[in-house]
Amino acid sequence: MADKFILGLPSKGRMMELASEAFDSVGAPVDKDGDERGYTGSIPSLGNVEISFVSASEIATQLQRGAIHMGITGEDLVRETIPDADNQVDFVKKLGFGAANVVVAVPACWIDVEEVSDLEDVAETFRRKHGRRLRVATKYMNITRRFFAEHGVTSYRIVESLGATEGTPAAGAAEMIVDITSTGATLKANGLRILTDGVILKSEANLVASRNAKWTPSLNEIRNEIIEKFGA
Amino acid sequence: MIADPTAERFRDLEAQASLIMDVFAKAGFERIAPEIIQPADVFLDVVGEAIRGRTYVFTDPDGAELCLRPDLTVPACRLYLERHPSCDARCRYYYSGSTFRFQPGGATTENPREYRQAGIEFFGDGDQERAEAEVVALTQAVLATVGLGHTRLRMGDLGLFKALMAAIDMPERWRTQLTHDFWRRDALSQRLRKLTTPFSDREPGPLSVLLEQIDPSRPVAARETVRAYLERENISMFGTRTLEEITNSLIDQASDQHYGPLPPESAELIEAYVSVEAPPRAVGARISDLMSERNFDLSDALSHYQRRIDMFEEAGVDMSRAVFSAEFGRNLEYYSGFVFQIDTGTEGSGGYIAGGGRYDGLLQAVGAPHAVPGIGVAIHTERLLNAIKAQNAIGAEN
Repeated sequence: MADKFILGLPSKGRMMELASEAFDSVGAPVDKDGDERGYTGSIPSLGNVEISFVSASEIATQLQRGAIHMGITGEDLVRETIPDADNQVDFVKKLGFGAANVVVAVPACWIDVEEVSDLEDVAETFRRKHGRRLRVATKYMNITRRFFAEHGVTSYRIVESLGATEGTPAAGAAEMIVDITSTGATLKANGLRILTDGVILKSEANLVASRNAKWTPSLNEIRNEIIEKFGA
Repeated sequence: MIADPTAERFRDLEAQASLIMDVFAKAGFERIAPEIIQPADVFLDVVGEAIRGRTYVFTDPDGAELCLRPDLTVPACRLYLERHPSCDARCRYYYSGSTFRFQPGGATTENPREYRQAGIEFFGDGDQERAEAEVVALTQAVLATVGLGHTRLRMGDLGLFKALMAAIDMPERWRTQLTHDFWRRDALSQRLRKLTTPFSDREPGPLSVLLEQIDPSRPVAARETVRAYLERENISMFGTRTLEEITNSLIDQASDQHYGPLPPESAELIEAYVSVEAPPRAVGARISDLMSERNFDLSDALSHYQRRIDMFEEAGVDMSRAVFSAEFGRNLEYYSGFVFQIDTGTEGSGGYIAGGGRYDGLLQAVGAPHAVPGIGVAIHTERLLNAIKAQNAIGAEN
């Protein structure tokens, strides 16, 4: 039996619908096995393709491990999960949905802080005054570390936050955040402001190919067919 | 029977470690063996997020946040502090043991996730230059004892940079900023560009209008100005930082404006200093020329530098392949003065073999009641073993 081409698609919500529509729109509709709650599927027009419906962050992990050949997920999750993403995967095509930015945001009342380079001063003074480091709440620990290191910000500490990150400064669990936002409305509602140069990553849903998966000539053919369909 | 390669490597590392330990023991130091599992808090607060990103942190069933030690310097500091709470003792420790670091590109023989460090830490040594010379001489002696032939010594000195900062007229805040950016060339250039730009040329934001209304000599009035501004803009105060903290930070920025931009000549001097790279003996004259051309006086710091070089020669440090580089630093934040690294100088040999330096602020950061002079070195024993094997393989070929 020929090797199966495994495609990872988001298993939930709007991302799942839009990913499915993306394949519809290029003439390769997705068939879900069993009822709506099933976790496998196929693309009849592409033959030997098996679809695995998993969470968008799991897709990033599986792309890194090579457990799936291709997948649709957010660039933010790929860059957070895979430290040297550009060497492990290929971003085949930006899909035009799921647009959101990963940003650095501070309480709007920090009128003394406009850009990222103002942060280190504040962080140093904060450390002297409060005897601890400035806390940054985020689920993007790796992206945050890389970005702050590039900008010479060092006197901070990450507090891992897996939900409602924008509420942490008001709740006193952190002083500022790095989070994803599409319109900025939630940040604003929580009294936060994005620093002028605080957009770390403009993310959207991508069709991504793993370099670590097992690639045979027949699997390469399927990959090329998909790439061609998407006009990438 | 063919020996298992992992057992063989273990045996080689053990044999090498015992040779190294002998050198330290004969020098009369005290052996320590800190715990492998350390409280995460201390490390994370002292070394910062950059190392935290590479540290194996975990929570035990009691909920305590712990880590596998990413180095042995901080555990040695904790041990010293425990034994000498008043921190007035002079101690010279040596150790050999595993350290653990996540390797972003995947673990390799040169960069394993578990590797043994052998090293020394001197605490409370008053004669700085002499202690520094001793550490470097001893490191070279160790490498020679275990059979490493050619090495290259690279060094830098944060003390000289601090002296340069002190000599140039500017607000104290800028000195702190520039010293902080010193290790990162891009950040330093960016900062210098910002400081030399006149405020009138900067993009006017809402902040620049507010800053014009703040008089640094009248803090109470400044706080009222800020409070009124926030009210007018409908911004509410929340979070840990208070109105006073934010006002103070604005007062600092307003004082910078009153001071005016950093003169371009000062920025040029700093850039010129950072570019200095030469054999250690030649550096003193090079920097001295750089300063006298611009009528700056660094003679005090330079005499310390000169004394260190004299001490190096007295201690028998091999300087034939030594280079001083002003921007040379180690990417650990806690170093405060002299820093050095030793490698084989061959391309692709997999990173430095020994590295260390002065960290006079570290003990206080760990909890000491006052600053304690500290200097140490750690030898990456896996890389050392690899380098010796590579060297012997080349020797056998010839």
